[in-house]
Amino acid sequence: MNVEALKDLLYKMADDQLVLGHRNSEWTGFGPLLEEDIAFSSMAQDKVGQSWQIYKILNELGESDPDTVAFMRNADQFHNSQFVELPNGEYDFSLIRHFLFDTAELLRFQFLSESSFEPLAQLAKKIKGETKYHSMHANIWVKQLGSATEESISRLQGSLNEALPYALGLFEESKFEDDLIADGIFKGEAVLKEAWIGEITKIINQSALTLPDLQQIEPVLGGRNGEHTEYLQPMLDEMSEVFKVDPTADW
Amino acid sequence: MTKPDKPFEHVGIVHAPNEEMAWLFSKEQYTRRGMVCHALAVIKTENIKVSSVTENNVDVYDTLTGEYSGKEQDSFELFHLLKRGKQHKHMGGVMASNYEDALLAATTQIDRPKTVYNVWVAKSEDIFSSDEEDTDIWDTLKEKKYRDAIDYKAADKIKAFKAEQS
Repeated sequence: MNVEALKDLLYKMADDQLVLGHRNSEWTGFGPLLEEDIAFSSMAQDKVGQSWQIYKILNELGESDPDTVAFMRNADQFHNSQFVELPNGEYDFSLIRHFLFDTAELLRFQFLSESSFEPLAQLAKKIKGETKYHSMHANIWVKQLGSATEESISRLQGSLNEALPYALGLFEESKFEDDLIADGIFKGEAVLKEAWIGEITKIINQSALTLPDLQQIEPVLGGRNGEHTEYLQPMLDEMSEVFKVDPTADW
Repeated sequence: MTKPDKPFEHVGIVHAPNEEMAWLFSKEQYTRRGMVCHALAVIKTENIKVSSVTENNVDVYDTLTGEYSGKEQDSFELFHLLKRGKQHKHMGGVMASNYEDALLAATTQIDRPKTVYNVWVAKSEDIFSSDEEDTDIWDTLKEKKYRDAIDYKAADKIKAFKAEQS
């Protein structure tokens, strides 16, 4: 098994979850309605928890402990897609990002439940319920607001158009793609992307939204190699503020 | 429904534009982490027909007049109130021609080991429920220590404050 390839896969997944988890947590106290406030806060906790589980696997593969890995790296050492680091914006953008990301996440872990790397296969099974609910939650809201009023439809459509180039960046291939597939660790980003297109199309077709022609969209790449927007570093600074002052602090 | 072998039990009310959204709001509001939940169903309040209410050990079924038609037109679900102040529990279903007829059918078809004080009758088709296969959405990661607030060490301050007050 190619351990470098495996670590690369684990880092990008964990970093996606940690960064989006932190973004979701920024909705706490600001949700458009109480249930959504609770839902985003609760999904934030799930995502941070999932990232912690993956950092623990990385730790067993010889990387630093989860707290150090989460709090002590700079933006250029993060492998998350640029999609997850973008500011929350208005609720419509956060909802569309939640929908596009969590559909991919659910499928990714469904694939990984059959991974030849046993710890990952086990984790995928353990978090099946969480990933499934996140996706159900997003689907119900997109169907609702995607067919409710002229304003809700046009705002969601605008956010969808804006988010798609970044969302396609989720499937940025790594140089280890062939190794991961050959070792039976992961089916690969290309297969995941095809499955994702199928799923998001199914939901969008149940609303008044239109899925633009994805062939015409240039994916925003680079995140997997540490190239990030100006938004990531300030977020990391805020996230790690207490840890950097006192690494032994509990709160 | 808290466990697969327990009946559905009413937990509360949400306001939502439709059943699917109501289901989602209920999931957030009534099945928070740490609570045991196995399944969740919602129905529009207007689709529940409510029987009269009895008291003093009088079973509401014993106050009914008329006879069950025997027509198995629609499927109905019945929810019994067994104690004032408690929630209604799903006790079974019957086939009948309308809501009143469903009550009459239930008189003989549903076991009543305890006195029933009030009944809700609903058409099965009006109930929106989570799927059997989605039970795992309540099976979340247990290891979430990082989200527990670590005890806030204020005992000394409180003691000092109390000493100052007395």
